[in-house]
Amino acid sequence: MQRDVGSLPLAPALRARLVAAGFQTAQEVLETGPCGLSKEIGISKEEALEALQVVRQECHSDATRTAGAPGTSRKCTALELLEQEQAQGFIITFCSALDNVLGGGVQLTKITEICGAPGVGKTQLCMQLAVDVQIPECFGGLAGEAVFIDTEGSFMVDRVVDIAAACVQHCQLIAEAHQEEDHLKALETFSLESILSHIYYFRCRDYTELLAEVYLLPDFLSEHSKVRLVVIDGIAFPFRHDFEDLSLRTRLLNGLAQQLIIIANDHKAAVVLTNQMTTRIGQSQSTLVPALGESWGHAATVRLIFHWDNNQRLATLYKSPSQKESTIPYHITPHGFRDVQPPAVTQNPEGTEMNPRKRLRREEEK
Amino acid sequence: MAAKKLRRARLSQELCERLSRHQITTCQDFLCLSLLDLMKVTGQSYGNVQKLLCKVSLACAPKMQTAYEMKVRRAVNPSSAFLSTSLHGLDKVLHGGVPCGSLTEITSPPGCGKTQFCIMMSVLATLPISMGGLNGAVIYIDTESAFSAERLVEIAGNRFPAYFDSDEKLFSMTCSVYLYRELTCGSVLKRIKSLEEEIISKKVKLIIIDSVASVVRKEFDTKLQGNLTERSNFLARGASLLKYLAEEFSIPVILTNQITTRLSNGPAIQADLVSPADDLSLSEGASGGRKRESGCVTAALGNTWSHSVNTRLILQYHDLPTRQIRVAKSPVAPFSTFFYTIEKSGFVLQDGKDQTNLTWEGTSPALQNIKVRNTALKDLLPDAALPRTTDETPSNASSLQKGKCNLD
Repeated sequence: MQRDVGSLPLAPALRARLVAAGFQTAQEVLETGPCGLSKEIGISKEEALEALQVVRQECHSDATRTAGAPGTSRKCTALELLEQEQAQGFIITFCSALDNVLGGGVQLTKITEICGAPGVGKTQLCMQLAVDVQIPECFGGLAGEAVFIDTEGSFMVDRVVDIAAACVQHCQLIAEAHQEEDHLKALETFSLESILSHIYYFRCRDYTELLAEVYLLPDFLSEHSKVRLVVIDGIAFPFRHDFEDLSLRTRLLNGLAQQLIIIANDHKAAVVLTNQMTTRIGQSQSTLVPALGESWGHAATVRLIFHWDNNQRLATLYKSPSQKESTIPYHITPHGFRDVQPPAVTQNPEGTEMNPRKRLRREEEK
Repeated sequence: MAAKKLRRARLSQELCERLSRHQITTCQDFLCLSLLDLMKVTGQSYGNVQKLLCKVSLACAPKMQTAYEMKVRRAVNPSSAFLSTSLHGLDKVLHGGVPCGSLTEITSPPGCGKTQFCIMMSVLATLPISMGGLNGAVIYIDTESAFSAERLVEIAGNRFPAYFDSDEKLFSMTCSVYLYRELTCGSVLKRIKSLEEEIISKKVKLIIIDSVASVVRKEFDTKLQGNLTERSNFLARGASLLKYLAEEFSIPVILTNQITTRLSNGPAIQADLVSPADDLSLSEGASGGRKRESGCVTAALGNTWSHSVNTRLILQYHDLPTRQIRVAKSPVAPFSTFFYTIEKSGFVLQDGKDQTNLTWEGTSPALQNIKVRNTALKDLLPDAALPRTTDETPSNASSLQKGKCNLD
């Protein structure tokens, strides 16, 4: 109530007039009433009423915030957060080594960034995640939907079809092995068609379209409340050319990062970004580093770097608040993103699924 | 979309006038400002500014489609998804051929067959859809003056003798290939920008740029400071323009690239212009005096360009006359290798016992090693004169032979 007039979210001209007329606190403005206000600062009665409503709303939300009402406040204890985090699911990547390194998979409410050299598999992983987020809950998935924002044009529907078909087959194998009713029921709705229908694809040609889309994303996610994954494939591409003003670029990127964090938190979704690598020319060597500069490194919560070691693809967990830094190998197979070796535990039927992939490679070599 | 004027975004007239006084006329300018700036500039309250942002964003944001709709669209019109290369094994691996709507790059040492491939694809694009073509015109941007119309006719006549049985058919095919000779980066960019209207008026179904690397490397010496960023800017701008054209009209775009030598820990130098017999340490400048590094030959134009192209095919020498075509980067295909020779009818894949889908252990497309031609010079010069790195050989002899389109 004692809030200073200059900090109210009114139009600047209106604020200036209030201050010039001598109003200092929100309380004074509220006490005056619309007619008095319009006379004193020379605006119409309707405008005065609007302004009063804004001020009243602001003060009300201030009051509830200080009173600690659970609805509007954002604070909670660490225990509540722990319970929330443990109840939350992960989006698996079908590569158990990578899932282990990440602590279970791609986490919800966090931004995960994947950097890598060209052709190493970033888009493949994004497509795999867009399919995996839709796995029904009885199979260990999230039964969510995915938003895919593509800036590079590397999204190939044919490839998604292959990945989705392999995923459905995997679930069918599990259902056959377990023979439980809810598994079979879930399989009825988990088909190729439904997977593809729940991937919402946006093609952004330049950074303006990307900015516009991210502004509209909260409304879209409110309408499609089952979305649990937002992929932006190629956050670097639209920002890497035609930008003379690097400070503008940093500001826009920071703004984007903030909006994405808010989206991730409000809608309990995972945000996955892919970044390119750029060459940093040193004194005698040139090294590959993630693009978009040093300050962008702060934007993501979890950072994965994909790189090559001769002929083997490796994934390194580079930045994570809770997991240890480590490197694991992975493969891209016709079925999608997979491990290099089948997992050690052979009790569950997932072990038998990994073998068909291995079998496939041997057939190809013949 | 970015340059869309705010007027067309349904903002009120007086608001547009007010904004234009602050030099904000397009959606791009509007969206680049922070919320506080917007409040100051529009004179509206916080809530109103957010509503305005939504309005402007709606005007620029792309339309949503589900993956299922995309699949259905492709299933309904399969020929609109790719251009068959008429090389059966390659088509199978690429799920149909050169994909429409994305950039495909062909990289190879000189004389391996890039221009031949491009000419062959030009013929294929003009074929009717029943024969696997796209029934459209071709825009061929030639920067090296390597295009030969005679070869075009020869390939057409020999590859599809049944179809091109009369002179009129050949004539109408050649009329559909539009050749533009551009010799500088600026003119190439200008030409690409002007392509949008031409594609609509001439019903173009394939764009070929042969080659991107030659203009870029002529003009930008990466050792000069600042040139590297300018070069990357040019490449990135060109790539995004071409991607826009490719997607908007759903046509394939084929680009050719050259090779470069990447030393083990230095930036790549334009070493195919420098014979490895020359002292490499001379061209390294200050860091000369180092022991000669073993280098590998890879695709030119750097890392960023490798990100921009969606598919990369590498042509390289095997045992003459056999050459290899490798799929080095593709969102749908695994690493694969095929052997081919260049005949009168263009590329001919070698079918044979070892010819099924040879998957190979590939590596990063930007660093993939490429075999250069092993010419007879090996017999002429004593071995000591040539640095013995695995696959590096002088490539200037092969470029002499290239002019005659040599098919030994």
